[in-house]
Amino acid sequence: MQQLLEQLVNGLAVGSIYALIALGYTMVYGVLRLINFAHGDLFTYGAYLGLTLLGSFALQDRLGPVAGLAVLAVMVMGLVALLGALLERAAYRPLRGSPRLSAVVSALGASIFLQNALMLIYGARYQVYPDVLPQTAVEVLGLHIPVVRLAVLGVSVAMMALLFLFVQKTRVGTAVRAAAIDQDAARLMGIDVEKVVLLVFVIGPALGGAAGLLVGLYYGQISFTMGWVYGMKAFTAAILGGIGNIPGAMVGGLLLGVVEALGSAYLSHSWKDGIAFFVLILVLIVRPSGLLGERVAEKV
Amino acid sequence: MNRTMRTLAALGLALAAAPASAQTIKVGLMAPLTGPWASEGQEMRRNVELLAAEQNAKGGLLGKQVEVIVEDDGGDPRTASLAAQRLSTKGVVAVIGTYGSAVTEASQNIFDEAEIVQVANGSTAVRLTEKGLKYFFRTCPRDDEQGRVAAATIQKAGAKRIAILHDNSAYSKGLADEINGILKKANANVVFFDALTPKEQDYSSILTKLKAATPDMVFFTGYYPEAGQLLKQKRQMGWNVPFVGGDAINNPDLVKLAGKEAAAGFRFLSPPVPKDLDTPEAKAYVTAYQKKYSEAPSSIYGVLAGDGFRVIAKAIELSKGTKAPGLREALTKGVKDFPGFTGKISFNEKGDRVGELYRVYQVDANGNFVLQP
Repeated sequence: MQQLLEQLVNGLAVGSIYALIALGYTMVYGVLRLINFAHGDLFTYGAYLGLTLLGSFALQDRLGPVAGLAVLAVMVMGLVALLGALLERAAYRPLRGSPRLSAVVSALGASIFLQNALMLIYGARYQVYPDVLPQTAVEVLGLHIPVVRLAVLGVSVAMMALLFLFVQKTRVGTAVRAAAIDQDAARLMGIDVEKVVLLVFVIGPALGGAAGLLVGLYYGQISFTMGWVYGMKAFTAAILGGIGNIPGAMVGGLLLGVVEALGSAYLSHSWKDGIAFFVLILVLIVRPSGLLGERVAEKV
Repeated sequence: MNRTMRTLAALGLALAAAPASAQTIKVGLMAPLTGPWASEGQEMRRNVELLAAEQNAKGGLLGKQVEVIVEDDGGDPRTASLAAQRLSTKGVVAVIGTYGSAVTEASQNIFDEAEIVQVANGSTAVRLTEKGLKYFFRTCPRDDEQGRVAAATIQKAGAKRIAILHDNSAYSKGLADEINGILKKANANVVFFDALTPKEQDYSSILTKLKAATPDMVFFTGYYPEAGQLLKQKRQMGWNVPFVGGDAINNPDLVKLAGKEAAAGFRFLSPPVPKDLDTPEAKAYVTAYQKKYSEAPSSIYGVLAGDGFRVIAKAIELSKGTKAPGLREALTKGVKDFPGFTGKISFNEKGDRVGELYRVYQVDANGNFVLQP
C-alpha cells in the first residue's frame, strides 16, 4: 500500500513535467496541424538558460530564495518564448501553405540545429545546477515526500490551470480556439491568424522552458540531449490525451507518468516504456482521437 | 613537347601526388565526439592527438609523420558503421576505438574485412573478442574479469541481500549477468535484478521498487550520469543503502552530478583513475596533457585510447611495416609487458589485454576518489 502511494506521487511528479511540455505540442498542433519536433529542444534551452541566469545574476542572494526563483522563472520563460517566436519565424512561417511534410522536416532540422548549437556553446558534458532548493521532506501517511517534489507538482498544475483559464475565458483565448477550429472562418471574423500562431509559439515554448527550469532545479543534472526523451514522452502524452486538446495534454501527461511508475513497480522496470506505449495503443484503439480528443466527423 | 619538358612535367606530377599517398602513416580514431558520451570521445581525441604530436616531434614512425584521422561515431551503432566505412576508405593502417561495446561491435566486421587493426579503448563486452576476429584488440579489460572482481567485492563486504541494477545496454547487461551468474553459483541471495532506462532524470520509481526489496547492497552496472541521479535521489528519499558500481561510473563528474553528500561512501570498480597512474611515464604524460589542454585528463578511457595509440606505434616499429598481419604478429608476440600509462600491456591470442587492472575506489566526504587497499 505504501509503495503504491509512493509510486503514485512519483508518477504524478514526472507526469506534471510531461504535461507542461505536452501543452506546447498540443497548442501548436491545434492551430497549425504541425508537430513541432523542436519543442523538446526548447525545453532543454529552458534548463540551460536557467542555469546561466541563476549563476550570472545571483538572483537568490539579491532577492531572497522565493522572489529570486520567481524572477528567474519569468526571465527563462521570456527568453524561451522569444526563441520560440524566432523558431516560428525562421523555420515554419516560410513554409506556411507548403505540404505538411516539409514543415515536419523543417522541425526536425531545427531540432538538430538547436541541439548542436547548445553543445557547441556549453560543451558536451553534463551541466549541474547548484543546490538552491531546500532538501526538507514531509511525512504524509507514512510517506517520505520531498517538499520540492510537491512544489514541482503544484507549480505545473497552477501554470496549466492559468493557461486553461486564459484560453477559455479571455478574448485572445477565444481567438486561439477559433483559429484552431477553422483558420479561414477565423480570418473572416477579423482574427489575425498570424498573430494567433505567433502567440501559440510564445506560450508553448514559455511553458516548455518553465518545465526545463523545473527539471534543472529539481533533478540538478542537465544535458543537451535531454529534450529528446522528454519530448518523446510529452508527445505521447499529447496524443494520449487527444492532440490539439489542452485539458487532454494535462490529463495525458499525468496519466502517462502514473502508468509508467505503476508499470515499473508492479510489472518490470525495464519494460516501463513498453507498458506506457502499450497503454497508448489500447487507448487509441478504443478512442482513436485520444482520451479527450473531439471526434472529428468524416467528411464524405 | 621535348623530352626534358616531359620528364619535368612527370616529375612535377609525381611530387604533387606523393604527399597524398605515402609520406604519412595514417592512424584512425573512431570516437563519440557527439552524442551522450561526447565528453569521453573528446578526451579520446585529445589523448590521441597529443601523443601523435609527440611522436611526430620525435621523428614520427618509420621515418614518416603520423596523421590522425578522426571520425565521429556519435555513440551510436548506425553512425559507427558509417564512420568505420569512411575510415577504411581513407587508407588508415590501424584504428583506435571506440568507447561503447555495442558501437564497437557495429564496426568490427568492417575493419576486419578491410584488414585494419582495431584497438578498442572502452568496449568491455566479453563477446567482442570471442568472435575469432584476427585484427581486433582492446586496451580495456573484459566484463567477465570485472564481474569476478565485482562478485568478490560484494562477498567481501558481507552483503546478504544483493540487488543488481543495469541499464539494458550491451555493456551494462553483460556485466550484470556476469555478476549474477557468479553470485548464484556461490548461493548468494540476489533479491532484485532489473534495468532502468538510461538518460532519464527521474529514477524515483525504480528506487522505490528497489527499496521495497530491502537489499543490503545495490550493485549498479550502468554509467555515471544515471549513477549520479540514483545517488542523489536515494538521498532525497532518505534511504541509506550502500551502492557499488562498475567502471563506467569512473568519472569525476559523478560527484558534481550527485553532490558531495550523496556521493560519499559510494564504491566502484575501475582501472586506476588518471591521477593514480603511478609510473614515471604516466606522470610525465599527465603533466604534458595538463600543459597542452590546461586541465588534467579525467577519463581513464581517454588514457586507454592513448595507450591504444602507443601500442599501435610500437607494433608499427616492431613489424617495420603497416600491414595488418605483421601488426597482429607484433601485438600478440612482440608487445610483451609494454609500459603503458595504465600499467603493463600484453595481448593474448584473442586480442584481450592480459593481467588484472581493476581496483576498488571509494568516494570520500570531499568527493575524491580514494583507491582502496
